[in-house]
Amino acid sequence: MTRPLKLTAQALALAAVAGLLALLVWRLTHQQHAPKVGAAAPGFTLSMLSGPGSIDLAALRGKPVVLNFWASWCGPCKSEAPVLEQAWQRYRKQGVAFVGVDYHDVAGDARRFVSAHGLTFPMVEDGSGDVTSGRYGVSQVPETYVVGRTGKIVVHIAGPITSGSFADEFRRAVAAAIRS
Amino acid sequence: MIVRLLAVAAAALALAGPAAACAHPKTSLPYLEGQIMCPTCHTTLDQSDSAAARAIEAQIAKRIDECWSAKQIEDELVGNFGQGILAAPPHKGFDLLAWWLPLGGVIGGAGMLAFGVWRWSRTREPDVGEPAVELDAETERRVDEALARLD
Repeated sequence: MTRPLKLTAQALALAAVAGLLALLVWRLTHQQHAPKVGAAAPGFTLSMLSGPGSIDLAALRGKPVVLNFWASWCGPCKSEAPVLEQAWQRYRKQGVAFVGVDYHDVAGDARRFVSAHGLTFPMVEDGSGDVTSGRYGVSQVPETYVVGRTGKIVVHIAGPITSGSFADEFRRAVAAAIRS
Repeated sequence: MIVRLLAVAAAALALAGPAAACAHPKTSLPYLEGQIMCPTCHTTLDQSDSAAARAIEAQIAKRIDECWSAKQIEDELVGNFGQGILAAPPHKGFDLLAWWLPLGGVIGGAGMLAFGVWRWSRTREPDVGEPAVELDAETERRVDEALARLD
């Protein structure tokens, strides 16, 4: 092989290896993690599950917000749903906003779920999971974030708020968010 | 009489459900299970047993029963879940790279291999076989005599 040709081949091989290395570094540095407690809740604008319009999290600044990530195919979400509805009925009088984020779900199934469980708080859909897993690092539903009036995360509950310790944590977090 | 008519109408309505199922489906569940991804486990539906995958399969089966084509079903799922729900990237825009890059790699690799073989065949020493042996005069004379006897 002639010298210029050999040099070109070597440069191409080196460039390919450098490209793969850069891709690996990019993947490692861009892995999605759940935002930490005390950090600002990642912003989003998502379409309503039923009917027109959307919800922009930034528009809820100044109110405590309960963000619940769920899906109709999720078993624990079924038992959590009535508890969430009760909490919404209780805390809405104290100015707490609830937003349900339906994740990786068939829209028709999700609407039937909402109707079957009599959920009345606002629901948005995140079919692609860009917000749920992309920004909030959620991989298993249900998960709940309680966000304070300033937009900072008060608590992250990775599981149903129906289970013992999570239920207490949820109540304490909502109380803290109301006081914030 | 009215009661009888109502009974007939009710029976017709009851039968209308099953009759509405598609007689000649335009696609099949096994085909689409290989084309659609499970959004929570990042494998195709046929390799997944997750709850999300089963929910999507149920939706696909429902649409097949309603005589939807594979394209219509895929479009609906893309509208619901985004492009990531498709196992194969679309044949347009930036996603075309996913189709052309592997093909380019194969063609480039084959070209480089062919070029290498060509270069190798040209730079090889010519095969000249055993070097010729110089015969001395006496041996040459004997060989000539032997050859002459053969004639």
